[in-house]
Amino acid sequence: MHKVWAVIRREFIERVRTKWFWVATLVGPLFFAAIMVIPVLMARSGGVRQIAVVDDTPNEFGTRVAEELSTGRSFRARRVEAGLGVLDSLTAAVEAKALDGFLILPSDVVETGRAEYRGSNVSSMQAVEDLQRGLNRLIVKARLEREGVNPAVVDRAQIRILLDTKKISRGRTTAESAGGSFIMAYIMAVLLFMAILLYGVNVMSSVLEEKTNRIMEVLVSSLKPFEMMLGKVLGAGSVSLLQFLIWALSARLLMSQRGALLRAMGAGGENAGGGFQMPPIPGSTIAVFLAFFLGGFLLYSAMFAAVGAMSRNEQEARQAQQPVTFVLMIAYLSIFALTNDPNSAFSRTLSMVPFTSPIAMPVRWTAGSLPLGEVLISVAILIAGIAGVTWVAARIYRVGILMTGKRPTLKELVRWVRA
Amino acid sequence: MSAPVVRVDNVTKRFAGHTAVDGLSLSVPPGTLYGLLGPNGAGKTTTIRMLMDIYEPDSGSIRLFDTDRGGRAHSQRIGYLPEERGLYPRMRVLDVLVFLAEAKGVARRIARVQALEWLDRLGLADWRLRRVSDLSKGMQQKVQFISTILHDPDLIVLDEPFSGLDPVNSQVLRDTVVDARRRGKTILFSTHIMEHAEKLCDQLCIIARGKKLVDGALPAVKQMHGGKHVVVAFDGSQGAAARIFADRRLVARVEDFGGGGQEAELELAPGADAQEILRALIESGARLLRFELVTPSLHKIFVDLVGPDAAKAAAVPNA
Repeated sequence: MHKVWAVIRREFIERVRTKWFWVATLVGPLFFAAIMVIPVLMARSGGVRQIAVVDDTPNEFGTRVAEELSTGRSFRARRVEAGLGVLDSLTAAVEAKALDGFLILPSDVVETGRAEYRGSNVSSMQAVEDLQRGLNRLIVKARLEREGVNPAVVDRAQIRILLDTKKISRGRTTAESAGGSFIMAYIMAVLLFMAILLYGVNVMSSVLEEKTNRIMEVLVSSLKPFEMMLGKVLGAGSVSLLQFLIWALSARLLMSQRGALLRAMGAGGENAGGGFQMPPIPGSTIAVFLAFFLGGFLLYSAMFAAVGAMSRNEQEARQAQQPVTFVLMIAYLSIFALTNDPNSAFSRTLSMVPFTSPIAMPVRWTAGSLPLGEVLISVAILIAGIAGVTWVAARIYRVGILMTGKRPTLKELVRWVRA
Repeated sequence: MSAPVVRVDNVTKRFAGHTAVDGLSLSVPPGTLYGLLGPNGAGKTTTIRMLMDIYEPDSGSIRLFDTDRGGRAHSQRIGYLPEERGLYPRMRVLDVLVFLAEAKGVARRIARVQALEWLDRLGLADWRLRRVSDLSKGMQQKVQFISTILHDPDLIVLDEPFSGLDPVNSQVLRDTVVDARRRGKTILFSTHIMEHAEKLCDQLCIIARGKKLVDGALPAVKQMHGGKHVVVAFDGSQGAAARIFADRRLVARVEDFGGGGQEAELELAPGADAQEILRALIESGARLLRFELVTPSLHKIFVDLVGPDAAKAAAVPNA
């Protein structure tokens, strides 16, 4: 055990000392901060849009439109009387970037509901939507008023309807929204996939390093191959946990400082226009995530260790790892099927098979309500799978690490395992 | 006599297609410098790997320190320098040494102290925090060598230790090995270069094609397999040397009669006494400058036993 501990420590310390580790560790929070802040900044990009409302209506409807638009945060609008050459001069102003765009209200806009916007940037969905919504409100209001409806009644009738979705999860109604739980499931799947793949490949290249640098022989004379593999896998695994911990803490910190951060970026006050809102993550979800990450990591890194052991160099290893990566991809690529119908036969199967369950089960758990029993069965199958795969991998590892000839064929691999 | 440190008993190891070691038996007594000699491909490395638990023998048994547990179980007492050497290039020198010692079961604290002491002794103290890849090849060899003996093992196993070593490190290695032997440690090393073996070994075993040809103490092997040789040099008169040398009861073969007939090397006939030749020469009136009993070189024995072809192959290091 002392020997395994030495391998774990070496693996851990050498890995944490690499530049790669710190780059990845720092990129995580930066990425997180970016997805938090960038949507907000994008919504505010260029700050307020300066637009003109070209009014051709008989009753200066354009004035009301300009006022209405200006009350929002997106636009500063001023009314321009329609006339000869107005469009040309406004176009020139847009060209010269003195103006972001202009809204053309034809004389019959209230009747037809047709208007036109010309601007330097018409691809901002948010801006176009704001424009359309504001205009819509006013036109509906104008039409109703024309029919003699009390303006106050019209205002009350136009209070927007918000459909608030809440998930029923394990007998309780949670505050999670549908979109939120999909995003959570998606982020989880990406994290699991990336982490299992990256750290698995790390184990592989670490085995390969010992092979190509011919350290293997001294190691094998002091350590059992299984001890070497175990130490490697656990060492790399603890590095990944450390990295997750740093990421989780920095994410928490960023979330709690979100307002201050956004203000610092000049993006306005609390809850400023959308952005990524992290739904609250229940402890049970974190537990499921960690349990299946660890299981998946152990399962896959044992396979990657065997791949490293049976390859002579990086190129060979890259080829030999493809089947392993492919199996891992199956679950990853099934995210949409899993979130759409977490309880279909397909989803259930994926979350039970040990090679796909490390990704599929946490996704299902987040996307829908799952009985705890099902999760426990999946964990049990996963543990059995790890034991089986590790046994096979250790036998391949044992023979492979001392092999110097060409890469073994499938038939030879089977013989190694049986030997 | 105490039990041998290493005892190999009728061990056979086959690989796909060929038998690398074939019914080999040998035993290494404690406190000896034991040479495992043979041409390339003789099975030296395979034998050593079986001692170290890297390979399992197909049949036969191996005992280390009089137990039936293999090299891995005894890793704390064994220092092993494999033929193929390597270190972690990105690790720091001190860390590599401590890790390799820990892998053998040595406590971290002790490993550190020992590593620093050895680095100091071999002039690498200033390099202890540098990466292995920053070191020259010669320095890396020293680090590798320190990792072999850092834990003061009772048995040192060296597979072709001199191959690839520069002369300075060769000497460091030799000194350390001799010093370890003086302190009662047992050393087993393999080589195909007989000059190394002749200078160092107490005991040896010559193998070829996986089979043992001869083993035992160096003088005994020389005596048994080389026969006795006499070098004779005359100072003027040769007396009846030509007649005496032709006497097949005394002289089996005259190897060399050069220098204008002033010098000769004789191989004595089996059972013949060198003193008889000396007396006969003096009685015949020969004046002698030199009359010396010599043993043949190990290289000659090796060539005789293995055959010239194999020996030629062996003369090319690491071919």
